[in-house]
Amino acid sequence: MDRFVDEALVLSTVDYGDADRIVTFFTRDHGRLTAFAAGARKSKRRFAGALEAGTWLKASLVSRGAGQETCRVDKVDVVKSFHRLRDDLPLIARALYCLELCRELTRDGQPHVELFEALKDYLALLDERKAGPTSLLKFELDALQYTGFMPRFSPCALCHGPTGPQPRFDAQHGGVVCFACSPRVPHGVFVPPAVVEALAGLQAGARVPLAPELRARARELLNVFIAHHLGRQLKSVAFMEQVGLD
Amino acid sequence: MTPDAINRLVAQLAKLPGIGEKTAQRLAFYVLRSPPEYARGLAAALTEVVDKVKLCNQCFSLHDGPEGTVCSFCSDSRRDDRLVCVVEGIADELAIERTREFKGRYHVLHGVLSPLEGVGPDQLRIKELLVRLQGESPIEEIIVATNPDVEGEATALYLTRLLKPIGLKVSRLAQGIPMGGDLEFADQATLARALAARRDL
Repeated sequence: MDRFVDEALVLSTVDYGDADRIVTFFTRDHGRLTAFAAGARKSKRRFAGALEAGTWLKASLVSRGAGQETCRVDKVDVVKSFHRLRDDLPLIARALYCLELCRELTRDGQPHVELFEALKDYLALLDERKAGPTSLLKFELDALQYTGFMPRFSPCALCHGPTGPQPRFDAQHGGVVCFACSPRVPHGVFVPPAVVEALAGLQAGARVPLAPELRARARELLNVFIAHHLGRQLKSVAFMEQVGLD
Repeated sequence: MTPDAINRLVAQLAKLPGIGEKTAQRLAFYVLRSPPEYARGLAAALTEVVDKVKLCNQCFSLHDGPEGTVCSFCSDSRRDDRLVCVVEGIADELAIERTREFKGRYHVLHGVLSPLEGVGPDQLRIKELLVRLQGESPIEEIIVATNPDVEGEATALYLTRLLKPIGLKVSRLAQGIPMGGDLEFADQATLARALAARRDL
């Protein structure tokens, strides 16, 4: 049995039995991992509210040996709980969406240090109320890039020329194609050039808030792209739609 | 060869939460060794629960009265109609009732908003709460008593968004240091909330 300490963000939790909890962590150096926290819901001292989705902590974990995927949580020290974001429904929704996105884009035991840092920084921005709705698109693009799924918005994904005034988006081909290449992507959908330009700008590091309509179209596009690569839509997308948030 | 009847009982018991195959086997043999009256009583109790217990039409708590009637919380004329405490589940309702401090009515949501599990407002008894508020409702205050975790907070904020515009007073259970607790072991979120919600002495 190996004992190790790593920085971690709590991605999600599932209650188990009367008092225990199974926690999915996104650790800095060990990637995503699942750990069993005995007595997590009963003991006020041992984990003291630390095992909540979105909490940044230092976790002392014990791996259960070869062939055993689940670790045991020995001890946790909260670095930051980001509790202020819990006072605002859109902030909670954005934070949980990002946690789910990271949980689904990563695999057990595969570290993604850049993504870990990006998620931690984004949660901090939400907590400080410095992250507007456009920043969520930026985070999604970053997350896709760090996990190797980066969509291409410019130039054309097929001929590498300019995308032009009638671009088409096709998740299967990894992004936007120009009008001339569109016969090669029968499932491609027309996208307004302004949306393509806005997403390409965000990808290149632009920090300009997008208008709600543009944001909605960009969100639609990314939802399709992410759902294509994961094989299903993220659960929190439906939640955000039901409660009318973006 | 174990008799089929025992195998069937073990299989059914093993479906209960927290009960594994071995425990199910132990329970099955305990039932077998007990006087037959015990097993018959257990079977009758299980059947009665299934046949008689249902959800109250008004607050969605459990009740075993005749069809078309409401539960004891809703029918008790001594309770305050102006106050409604919204809880996640029956266990929370019973926990609040044990305090003997709350004399209003209840509304059980049967869950909380959980974006990560795909639970949205449509899966909870939120629409039914809004129906209770329609017409000449005596309700003046809604106390949101969901758990102080991310999902509980999201549910409380969502309910506030729906209920405040109606002109109702919406309150939330206080959060802070538990009785007999230890400041040294309290997490930063709890302490911060306890400080924010401090009261005059």
